[in-house]
Amino acid sequence: MPSSGLSAERAERLGRSAIASGAMFAVTVVAATVYTSSGGAARDLLVQELLVNIVIVMGLQVFIGSTGILSFGHLAFAQIAAYGVALTAIPAATKVGTLPDIPFGLGDVELGPVGATVVAVVAATILGAVIGVAIARAGGLAATMITLAVLFAVDQVVKNWQEMTRGAGGLSSVPRLTTNTWLWLAALVALLVAHVFRETRAGRFAVAARDDEIAAPAIGINVFWPRWTAWVVSVALVALAGALRVQMIGSTNPKQYTLDVGILLLAMLVVGGMRTVSGAFVGTAVITIGNEAARQIGDTHEIERLPELFLGVALLIVMLLRPGGLLGDADIAAWLQRRWHRSRRREAASPGALAGDEPASDEAPARSAASSGTGSGWGADSGSGSGALVVRDVVVRFGGFRALDGAALRVRPGEIVGLIGPNGAGKTTLFNVVNGLVAEESGTVMLGDRDLSHDPPHRIARAGLARTFQNLRLFGTQSVRENVALAALAARRYRPARVTVEVDDLLAQAGLLAVAERRAATLDYGNQRRLELARAAALSPEFLLLDEPTSGMSNAESLAMVDHVRTTARHVGAGVLVIDHDLAFVTRISDHIVALAEGRVIAEGTPDEIADDHAVAEAYLGRRDASTPP
Amino acid sequence: MSTFVQTIVDGLGRGSTYALLALGISVIFGVMHLVNFAHAELITVGAYLAYFLSTRDINWWVLAPAIVVSAIVASVATERIAFRWVRGSSPFTMLLTSFALERLSHALWQVFVSPTKKSFAGPAWVFDTFEVGGIRFEWMDVATIAVTALVLALTAFVFRRTLFGIAVRAASEDFDAARLMGARANRVIAGAFAFAGFLAGVAAALILMRSPSAEPALGSDYLIKAVVAAIIGGLGSFTGAVAGGLALGLAEVMLRGYLPEGVWERLTDAFVFALIAALFIVRPQGLFTVRSAERV
Amino acid sequence: MLRVEHLTARYGAVVALRDVSMHVDEGDLVAVVGPNGAGKSTLLNTVAGLLKPVNGKVLLDGTDVTGADPARLVRAGLALVPEHRRIFRDLTVGENLQVAGITASAADRRLRLDAARQRFPILDSRWDTAAGHLSGGEAQQLAIARALMSDPKLVLLDEPTLGLSPVMTDVVFDLLAELHERGRTVLLVEQNAHRALALADRGYVMRPGEIAAEGPGAELAARDDLFATYLGGGVG
Repeated sequence: MPSSGLSAERAERLGRSAIASGAMFAVTVVAATVYTSSGGAARDLLVQELLVNIVIVMGLQVFIGSTGILSFGHLAFAQIAAYGVALTAIPAATKVGTLPDIPFGLGDVELGPVGATVVAVVAATILGAVIGVAIARAGGLAATMITLAVLFAVDQVVKNWQEMTRGAGGLSSVPRLTTNTWLWLAALVALLVAHVFRETRAGRFAVAARDDEIAAPAIGINVFWPRWTAWVVSVALVALAGALRVQMIGSTNPKQYTLDVGILLLAMLVVGGMRTVSGAFVGTAVITIGNEAARQIGDTHEIERLPELFLGVALLIVMLLRPGGLLGDADIAAWLQRRWHRSRRREAASPGALAGDEPASDEAPARSAASSGTGSGWGADSGSGSGALVVRDVVVRFGGFRALDGAALRVRPGEIVGLIGPNGAGKTTLFNVVNGLVAEESGTVMLGDRDLSHDPPHRIARAGLARTFQNLRLFGTQSVRENVALAALAARRYRPARVTVEVDDLLAQAGLLAVAERRAATLDYGNQRRLELARAAALSPEFLLLDEPTSGMSNAESLAMVDHVRTTARHVGAGVLVIDHDLAFVTRISDHIVALAEGRVIAEGTPDEIADDHAVAEAYLGRRDASTPP
Repeated sequence: MSTFVQTIVDGLGRGSTYALLALGISVIFGVMHLVNFAHAELITVGAYLAYFLSTRDINWWVLAPAIVVSAIVASVATERIAFRWVRGSSPFTMLLTSFALERLSHALWQVFVSPTKKSFAGPAWVFDTFEVGGIRFEWMDVATIAVTALVLALTAFVFRRTLFGIAVRAASEDFDAARLMGARANRVIAGAFAFAGFLAGVAAALILMRSPSAEPALGSDYLIKAVVAAIIGGLGSFTGAVAGGLALGLAEVMLRGYLPEGVWERLTDAFVFALIAALFIVRPQGLFTVRSAERV
Repeated sequence: MLRVEHLTARYGAVVALRDVSMHVDEGDLVAVVGPNGAGKSTLLNTVAGLLKPVNGKVLLDGTDVTGADPARLVRAGLALVPEHRRIFRDLTVGENLQVAGITASAADRRLRLDAARQRFPILDSRWDTAAGHLSGGEAQQLAIARALMSDPKLVLLDEPTLGLSPVMTDVVFDLLAELHERGRTVLLVEQNAHRALALADRGYVMRPGEIAAEGPGAELAARDDLFATYLGGGVG
């Protein structure tokens, strides 16, 4: 149900992308114009090179920057596209001489620049999409190794399939571009695509998965799709660059697409800061210009290979001193967003603002009840929801050790259940089983009549179980608002019938509105804990699973958390299952307590009952007298 | 039959150098969680040293050890100068640091020596052959396999019987626990780099005896194979690294020998890489499992 | 022997210790009990040098060793038996003990290895087995034997009976009693609060981040409201 608030936000995101892209484009135009106004063809060539680099690096940024997965393989697709253009654009008459044995009837094909470019880019992208499946599935170092293998495999194919590619000699006589317009256009498109991608769901989810690979599925994100999408978009951009470059130079050969060249391009991405488009842009400029300057100095003083030296030194210095890149997380688009939100808040706070301007007021009655804070946030939806969370007879073994030995519990809708037990009792293991992170040997996890026993974490989150983590897993490079907004986005997409809350309401309720635009990693600890809770709540879950929410808090803070957790849970209409070693906290907050020891439930009841339970005390303190048999 | 045996010997010869390099990479990864893309540059160091020494007519009996020593020194130096500063950083940062070093190394040779290949003389007996049971063998292959076997035996000895080796293994498994035992972090890491340098130095000597030339990109040719071999075996597993290296060498040679003539034969390397990609798709953690459980 | 003054320490983002002060006298066995998450492990890890505190001091025999490198602390006479033991599973029992003797001279190391074989016959019989194949009880004995290889003045143990059967728990407590009798200073963090306090000269009861109660071990062990202290009641 799109509200005026949501479409305003969407317009804002696109506007930001356009402005930021435009700004960078304008800077490039001005700089290039000034640079080429004096001096001849060499300068023109450098500008062309810069434009192609921008397209490639933006492509790299879309994948590597968004997913955090290093890829060496992108150049392979640029090469495929370059050869694709060459093979289809070189006049048939020429091909008879240079590629007499060319297969697939390509000898007769002769396309114009547009046709050749389209065919080449499409072909490269399709191939990339197929390989992308493996890469998105693998993730991490394995994915990087696959891209490396791809780079070398393609290199070998090009060098050795002489009938098709003329081997190491390469192909020439490719009809050249008559103007630079296409290059400028491509650069602008690349900047726009890179910016816009960051604002799409795929882009935002990819970044979340990058920041924390375990927290992302916990709010319903299946990391495969965002990664795959990022890969395909990036391959398309890089293929475009390859297709244009071959038409810019008029020829192509394998030496243009080696690992060395790849490292140069990676340096451009990394030196400025790979996590943002602005960083990638700055890096491209710095390295391209620095490279050229080094070459000129080298020529003047007759030092060979100064550019390589410059590259090595620049990369090393950045890695040792500023590994996040010169810009780190700074970004024009992000800066624009902060200013927009700040001015929005100032407007909302001003006396002239009408209630009707607030996005919240557009929503169904359930939501306005929630935002006015009258306790019961139970919209028409959540009461009729999925029923209780029931765990039965769960057994988990790690090697020979039984971590859970027939554990069971039930959480009713809206109820707060505390899970306690000494160290090693199996509490976190039980959580991980419910959450999908650990597979149980036997037993079931049911949410109402839905069996979640064998679902992966992201599906369990989508079913309505939202979790926080003992070690605090925030999306650190993203703003406070974005952390919550990501969960809300997932909720709208995967739990549309259940969505009951708005991002701003949750932020306000957590006391985080004032810091909403700050990066999550910069908050103080207590606020970070509250943010993690707000993020979980933004999923509009049936149940909140809280893993040691007061870990590290002072007594006063822990006490405050009791009310805060209760209010948040009620706000979204969720039940709560909470683990905490602060027994005072658990006693105060729980309606019902389950005590676990050695993988089994040894007692359950109200907090008072548990406090008097000898079995529980013994589990925590050990037997009073060593000579008394258990 | 004879071709088969020759293929095996050839493959093991190749695989030996990969195994030595991969083992060095695994040792460094064990203590620092760094995939050292600059490791193969140690070969280039040895090559240029050999080139300089050979212009002074120095015998290979001196050259070979000199190459090994230079690799050890260079390896320890890279740790001191660069890697110590990025200890504990993200794997990405450490990886890129090693890349930066690799680039820098290339550039330095090109700028301060020469970008062109410098050839010198290998030992005279390298291409001599001998016959056993109708099968022709190259002395170099035999020497390579023998030396590698010796070095691996030495490695096993060091890692099983010396306190230093045991400490490195301990640190690879649990660095902090090793510190709790009293092992000094800097010493263990420097030692690991030194040992990896030793392994690379032996590999370099073997390589250079067969193809005595020095050029800036010499290391790069071996780098990828070595890294891939280490990762195939499962980073941090020493047995895995050796197995990965030997397997890669054998695969290269066998594919070349047994693929049908024509296009396919020329695409051997492409096939090898495709196989590698397939491996990582099917078993991302490598052949020999390396423990890693993230605490939630 | 050990003095901890106003220690504030973080574990990741979590402030696990707030302004904690305590001390261990030479020859004493001091027990620290409390629910998990109270900061007991953080306390030991900070003393042993694995964590650098945000604030406060750690003094060993009067020398300020705050934030010192763990290897240096071992040489100063401190040994930690970490939580979950952290034995080197890929190394054999013998190798585990050898590396633990890295700070000793070769001669001393040989002597201590022999002593370990005598004192821990189970380890002797499994000398060449990979430590990863040991049972929980055997692994705990190995962990303690390791700590003794540096002949420490002060032994820190973090939850040594975690995950052990009642029989093995008895064995461990017997070991601790023996260490105590032989004059080694022991700082023991334990789940088995009653037993640990009964054995201890002095004890501390911790609640998240702070000390809730302290006193002679026997006294604390006899208290009826010990569990209540865990729950937030009780007065130090």
